[in-house]
Amino acid sequence: MNQALRRPLIYLLFVLPGLVLFAAFFIYPVLTAVTNSFTSWNGISQDKAYIGVDNYTLALSDAAFWRSVRNNSYFILFSCFVQVPLIVLFSLLIAQVKKLKGLYKTAVFLPSILSTAVIGILWGFIYHPDFGLMNEALGLFGIESVYWLSDRRWAMVAILITNAWQWTGFYIIMVLAAILAIPAELEEAARIDGATGIQRALRITLPLIVPILSVVVMLSIAGAMKAADIVLVMTKGGPAGSTDVMATYMIRYAITSFKHGYGNTIAVLIFVFTIVLTAVYQLLIARRIEGREA
Amino acid sequence: MQTAKRTILHVFLMGYLLVILYPFLFVLFSSVKTSNQEIAARPFGLPESLQWTNYANAWVNAKISTYFLNSLYIGLLSACLSILLAAMLAFAISRMRYRRLSMLLFQLVLLGMLIPNNALLLPIYGMMRELHILDTHLALIVPYTANAIPFSVIILTAFMRALPGEIEEAAVMDGLSPLGLFAKIMVPLTLPALVTIFIINFLGNWNEFLLANYFLSDDALMTLPVGMVGFRDAYNTNYAQMSAGIVFSVLPVLILYAILQEKIIEGVTAGSVKG
Repeated sequence: MNQALRRPLIYLLFVLPGLVLFAAFFIYPVLTAVTNSFTSWNGISQDKAYIGVDNYTLALSDAAFWRSVRNNSYFILFSCFVQVPLIVLFSLLIAQVKKLKGLYKTAVFLPSILSTAVIGILWGFIYHPDFGLMNEALGLFGIESVYWLSDRRWAMVAILITNAWQWTGFYIIMVLAAILAIPAELEEAARIDGATGIQRALRITLPLIVPILSVVVMLSIAGAMKAADIVLVMTKGGPAGSTDVMATYMIRYAITSFKHGYGNTIAVLIFVFTIVLTAVYQLLIARRIEGREA
Repeated sequence: MQTAKRTILHVFLMGYLLVILYPFLFVLFSSVKTSNQEIAARPFGLPESLQWTNYANAWVNAKISTYFLNSLYIGLLSACLSILLAAMLAFAISRMRYRRLSMLLFQLVLLGMLIPNNALLLPIYGMMRELHILDTHLALIVPYTANAIPFSVIILTAFMRALPGEIEEAAVMDGLSPLGLFAKIMVPLTLPALVTIFIINFLGNWNEFLLANYFLSDDALMTLPVGMVGFRDAYNTNYAQMSAGIVFSVLPVLILYAILQEKIIEGVTAGSVKG
């Protein structure tokens, strides 16, 4: 038995193709990004001049870079303070109803499996200043037309709304699954003790779904650090860089202006920020939540 | 009292449903309208007459047909390749008798889930150029295949580990080699998981924008999301035709979703939580 499944050659045959591809596309790129981040390489020529940490000091002293960092953090803040309350509200509501539950689940989840690029196009259309749905709808309330995507004050908000439209339902389904997994006896006992629906939601359901909400926040952080396509498709980082996120800032330098070394520096910074943010969140918040559970 | 409460719940939920579904309806209506004027005049209304020619025009003039087939072929091929490689890797990790080495490999693959892959765009771009496959479909097929490996391996390993050991004992007793065990026992038994992962990977490839946008410059090679964005930038005067284009790109996903909804929801959420 053991001998049949202990053949080194066959093990290699099974492992190697996948492993080589994995190493080539996950490990090797990380290493090259780090080495190139210390060069002034333009991405094409043979010679790479090592310039130490110059790229890093340049990035960290560039106001445009910090603006892109700020926009990434808007993604995180928007999901914590706007999306999470909506997620809690709607998953509690869907858990309560019996009729049409399937329809709600299906519809709510739908946007998250569509292409972000196409959603960007679709919402660009909705935000169209002259005949987009948004201004038409606001017009019904007598609100004046807004140039959503070309006005510096509104462009970022417009993107955040679109992003929320795409992803809120996805998280609702996750949280809903957690709510439906709560043993029915808990609800029942509270009901017998005379707790109202709202009391049961706040005192029983909510505390029990805090861990999954913590996962939602965690995933939002990861998603926010990756955000790129939605910005590229909707505003290309404009107007005047006001909607740039780190990834689009990186692309602008590396591919459009041939500052490949500098672009790699930004890539490494995205990396470092993501890891630091995740670690801080895990240590300060997630662990405390789990601790309370235990 | 109870029914009044129920009604209020449904009103809220219907409101949310409207916010999600109305944009689709808006696009569907716009796609059969005559012109921008008609869209502007009555954005909420049904079109006066159905202009199906918008679809024909989008399919041919806007080359949606080319983009559609490119996306389909790249998406399917990459999903097939990654599922094959991932299943082999998962089989070796979960069933062959190299416990410690397999443990190490699994941890390594798990690490891949933590890497924000947008940040790897530049190094991968450089690799594709050195291999001289930029501006060919291989420049997408290879990275797409690789990108799906960590997620697929993690899910499949969990699935294969859960299978009872007696199955392979019986198979080996009957003289099956590890290759036969993999092909004749493991693959059929894990078929449900393989299908789920296949769909998730296909959807991911079908929707991918970043690599597709920067690794290909020949218009005839482009995938649907990139082609659509190009179409918008070039034809942004004709919103009716653009809406028809959006319908073409969303429709296959909707059909898949209608048929395999449970599997898709389960697979997508499992994949993200693992990360």
